[in-house]
This record gives sequence, C-alpha cells and structure tokens, in this order.
Amino acid sequence: MPEYAVRTEDLWKIYPQEPHPVEAVRGVGLDVHAGEFVAMAGPSGSGKTTVLNLLGGLTRPTRGKVWIRDSELSGLPDKELAAVRLAHIGFVFQSYNLLPVLTALENAEFTLLLQGVPARERRERVRRLFREIGLEGLEDRKPPKLSGGQQQRVAVARAVLGNPALVLADEPTANLDSTTAEALLDVMEQLNREKGTTFVFSTHDPRVMERAGRLIRLVDGRIEGTSSGAGW
Amino acid sequence: MNRVGNVMWWRMAWRNLWRNRRRTLLTASALSFGFVASVVMIAFMDGMMEELISNGTRVVTGQVQIHAPDYRPERNIHDTMGGREGVDVGALVAAVEGQAGVAGAAPRLYGGGLVSSGDETVGAVLMGMVASREEAVSRFGHAMVAGRMPGPGEIVVGDAMAETVAVDVGDEVVLVAPAADGSIGNDLFTVSGIFHVGVGGFDDSYALLDMGSLHELMAMSAGRIHEVAVSVERIRDADAVAARVAEAVEEISPGLLTESWSVLQPQLHYVTSMARAMNGIVALMIFGMAIFGVANTMLLATFERRREFAVARALGTSGGAVGRIVVYEGLLLGLVSLGAGGLVAGPILVYLHGNPIDLSSFVGTYSFVGSAVRPLLTVAFSWQGPLASAVALVGTGVVSALIPAWRAVRVPPADSLAAR
Repeated sequence: MPEYAVRTEDLWKIYPQEPHPVEAVRGVGLDVHAGEFVAMAGPSGSGKTTVLNLLGGLTRPTRGKVWIRDSELSGLPDKELAAVRLAHIGFVFQSYNLLPVLTALENAEFTLLLQGVPARERRERVRRLFREIGLEGLEDRKPPKLSGGQQQRVAVARAVLGNPALVLADEPTANLDSTTAEALLDVMEQLNREKGTTFVFSTHDPRVMERAGRLIRLVDGRIEGTSSGAGW
Repeated sequence: MNRVGNVMWWRMAWRNLWRNRRRTLLTASALSFGFVASVVMIAFMDGMMEELISNGTRVVTGQVQIHAPDYRPERNIHDTMGGREGVDVGALVAAVEGQAGVAGAAPRLYGGGLVSSGDETVGAVLMGMVASREEAVSRFGHAMVAGRMPGPGEIVVGDAMAETVAVDVGDEVVLVAPAADGSIGNDLFTVSGIFHVGVGGFDDSYALLDMGSLHELMAMSAGRIHEVAVSVERIRDADAVAARVAEAVEEISPGLLTESWSVLQPQLHYVTSMARAMNGIVALMIFGMAIFGVANTMLLATFERRREFAVARALGTSGGAVGRIVVYEGLLLGLVSLGAGGLVAGPILVYLHGNPIDLSSFVGTYSFVGSAVRPLLTVAFSWQGPLASAVALVGTGVVSALIPAWRAVRVPPADSLAAR
C-alpha cells in the first residue's frame, strides 16, 4: 500500500457570502504519495490556493476530510492543527512571507526552533542547506536586504528544514524573473529527488508544470483532469 | 514552548518594537511623561504630607510618646508613669535614646493652671520640661521670639498668651495650679521668654516651666512625669521606632504605653492616609488614560502585522506564542519607558528637593489639623512612589498589549495570508 503524504475525500469549501455563497472548492478528492512533485494548475479563482490552505490545515473544510499521513485534520482543534503543521507541513508562499525582523538564518531555522532542535544542530543544518542552495554568506541579512529569489530560497529552506512530509508551495515562482524561477525550481527539484520531500504546487507557471511529476487541473473548484507531467 | 523558543519571542518582540522607531519613541515618551508626572506628583504630595506630619509632631508631641497607660485621653495629673513612686527618668530617657532611629527624648510633666498678671488672667497648659532635651524634640526652643527657655523660677509663654496677660520678658506672673496632694500651688515666676510656633492652641495656651519648678508647684516628687516625647530620625519609620522603644521601655518600667504619632494624632493620620490613597487614584487615572492610547497604537501595529502572525501560525507557532510576542512587546515598551522616565524623573526630584517651589507670593503659612503648613512645594524621597509608578507603568504596557495580543492570537491564517 503506497504511503500518502496527503489525501482528501470529497473536500468542499463554501464561503457564506450574500446573496449567494461562494463554492471555492467543490468535492475535491486527491491522493498525493510521499515523494511526489505535484502541480495544481488552473485559472485565477479556480480554487488552487484554497485547496492548498485546506491541505495545510490553514482553513477548515465546509465538508469532507483531509489526512496528512495518518492525521485527519478537519476535527482537530487549533492547537493540534498547529502541531500537525509544525511536524508535517512546510509552506512556501507567493510573496515569500519571511518574518522581516529575523535574519535569513533565523527565518530558515524558525520551524526547527519551534520543533525544539538544539541551537548547534539548527545552525549546522541551516548552513549546510544554505550552501547547497546558494545562500551561503547571506545568513545575517534581513529580508529587505535580499533579492526576491534569495528571499524565496530562504522560504524554501524554512519549509524543508523541519523535514516535513509535505511542502505546499503557492505560486512560488510568480514574483521571480525566469532565471531566478528556474534556479528556485532546481533547488526544489533537487530537494525532492535527494531528500524525498513531497511538493504540491499551485501555479500558473508553465516551467513548474513542465517539471511536475503529476499535473492536476482545477476549474471552478473541481478537479477537471490529472495528467502525468513532463517532469522527470 | 521550550526555553530557546522563548528567547526567540523576546528577540522578535524587541526587534518589532523598533521597526517603527518614531511610533515607538512617541508612545514611550507618552508613557515616560506619565511616569515622571506620577512620580513627581506623588513626591510633592509626600513632601506636603511629611511637612504636615513634621510640623504637626515637631511642635510639641514628637513622633512617639510614652505614657502611663491611663494617662490619655483624660490627662489626669495623678496618672504619672510608675504611679506615685514615679520612674527613674534618667534611665528611661537613656534607654529610649539608645534605640536605633531615635533622634531625641524629652521627659515632661503637665498641669493645668492660671497665669495672672495685673488684672489679666488666662488658663494655661503648664508644661514642665528640660530645656536642653526639648531642643531635639519640640520646636519651642527654635520658636523663641524674645528671651530664652526657662530656668528654675522662670516661665515661657506663647506670644498670644503674653499679649492677653500683657507681659513681656522680665515681667512677673503669678501661677496658680492644683497640686497632686490636693492643695493649690501658687508662686511667682519671671517671664524668661516668649515663643511663637504659629499653630493655634499652643501660642495662646502653653506655658513652659523648668521641670523642677513645676514639680515643686504641683507638690510632686522628681521621678513623676507624665510623658516622654520622642523624636525620630525619619518620620516614616515612626511605627517601627515606637515598637523598638516599647520593648526597651518595658524592661525599665513595665506597663507603660508607647504610641506613635499615627495613634496620638488620628486626624493627622487620617489626612495623610487619604492623601496616600489619592496618590494611588491619581496614578491610576494617569496610567488608565495611557492604557487606551498605548493599546490603540499597539492594536494598529498588530493589525499591520496580521500577515506575519498568519505566517507564524502557518509554520506551526501556537496561538499562545503569537500572543506572547505582543505581550512581550508591551512589557518591553513599558521597561524602555521606565528607563527613560527614570532618567528624567531622578534629576527633577533631586533638583526640587534642594530647591522647593516658593508659593509665598500666592499663599501664606496656614494651620491645618494642628499643623503649620508653609507655602513651600517640596518633594520627599521615598521608594514607594517611584516603585508604585514603575509597576503601574510596566503594567500599563502589559495591559495595553492584552487586546492586541488577543487579536493576534485570533488572526485567521488563510484569510490573513490572502489579505482578505
């Protein structure tokens, strides 16, 4: 039986708006195996970000269930949801969302710190990864002193350093130029291949779709189709 | 949260505080100003109260008194210490003066009598005393407007009494007083001095005599006294000194009653207690107003950082930890304000202590609950005022942060990340 990184069953998210509620996600069923490199594509408003938020336990489904490994999220209280996110999920956001008062190193080690990893080990792991993804020497810079690509790589480092079962990346290349985007994708692909980290992207970017192992097309909150990507 | 995490929250709180330096400095300035205002106001009030207590107790009563247990409030002349046998006055005074915090002790004998000169007669409180000992306890010796303190066969009266009986230094007066043996004592005394202490009830009714002369007039033995008045080095220590004196006195002459000014002058005690309560209320008002301003500023800052809180929550930070960062910010803001306020308040207090504000152009000396109050705004040093203000200030920072912290805890991660 394959190990799932994340699984959903008849997932719905309805926003109660007047005069008509908005059905952002409509009955999404999704299985992502550990080690997959999956992209979700679709037009704006198709529900990609909402699905990612549901997968990550950042918002609660109106109906349906989400499992991260063996934990079913929909019934968990906030505190336990936070614990599941800390242990199993990494996030990469479109606009980087680094904490501006922390240095690159402190941002990257944030989840390790929450996990209670000792300082020496934290620093060692961050520095090693920074070397691998080309951030060496930038450890003490705060986000405003980093380029967009550097910030996004710090965000990726933050997302993967805690060894999560799943990294959810919401349009991670949207704000990057093509060279930087390619470099970032190289980094994530490398992490996927070498460390087995599972990635689920939402994206408009053809470069991401090309590299994805599986491509899921969302339209109006529904999965319209799934195909094997052109990726490795 | 582990200890390491806690250090990180403090670090983030400190750095967040200085992200908008101008806003933080303005908020801290407001808090510092409140602290300075509170500390200086309390110091002024304490200064006034110390002046009130000092004047109210240093004129005659002292800050601590020792009596026979039944002497007050009737002040019967027979209720001398040690009964008819009396006490070893020298040993008693020495024991009292040996206690820490005691500045001086003066034995006294009281009687009631009539002072006559020519056709004029006035009732008087006769106070037998040892002039040299009164120097450290009462103000009479410093309040002589003419002449000097009395020796044997001499009398000193207040200026109001002197005017009533129309006498001056060198004149003679007749003193008539009931004696302890039931007879009526009378004798001729020479006015050696006239005092003015400025408090009603003393200048018109007190007459001072040498202790031996009054003993003789009232047919009492030398060991019989009604009171030992004690002055203390620091008025605020009076109760503690009274307790020590009571212990020492108990060994010399058991059964005597030792009381501090707060018991002896309940009205004065009531007024000063009220003033202290007012200090608390005014400080509460100052910092109460500050809470709303600071909370508003912090709420705004928290709202601006909703996305950051959402990111922290998304990464697995608990709501409690997010709230703690905001509360730490409030606490640090309070501490920064306290440091700045302390740097300003300290020199102001030191200056005002050495340079009281003279209000004599606006108001003269007046008498209040048996005490003369000079038209001087002076400050008193105490640790209570600054400590209470410091606690209130830091508390203001923390309390102001509670609502913003609660809002931060309740930031919905997905909506905030989407900036909904």
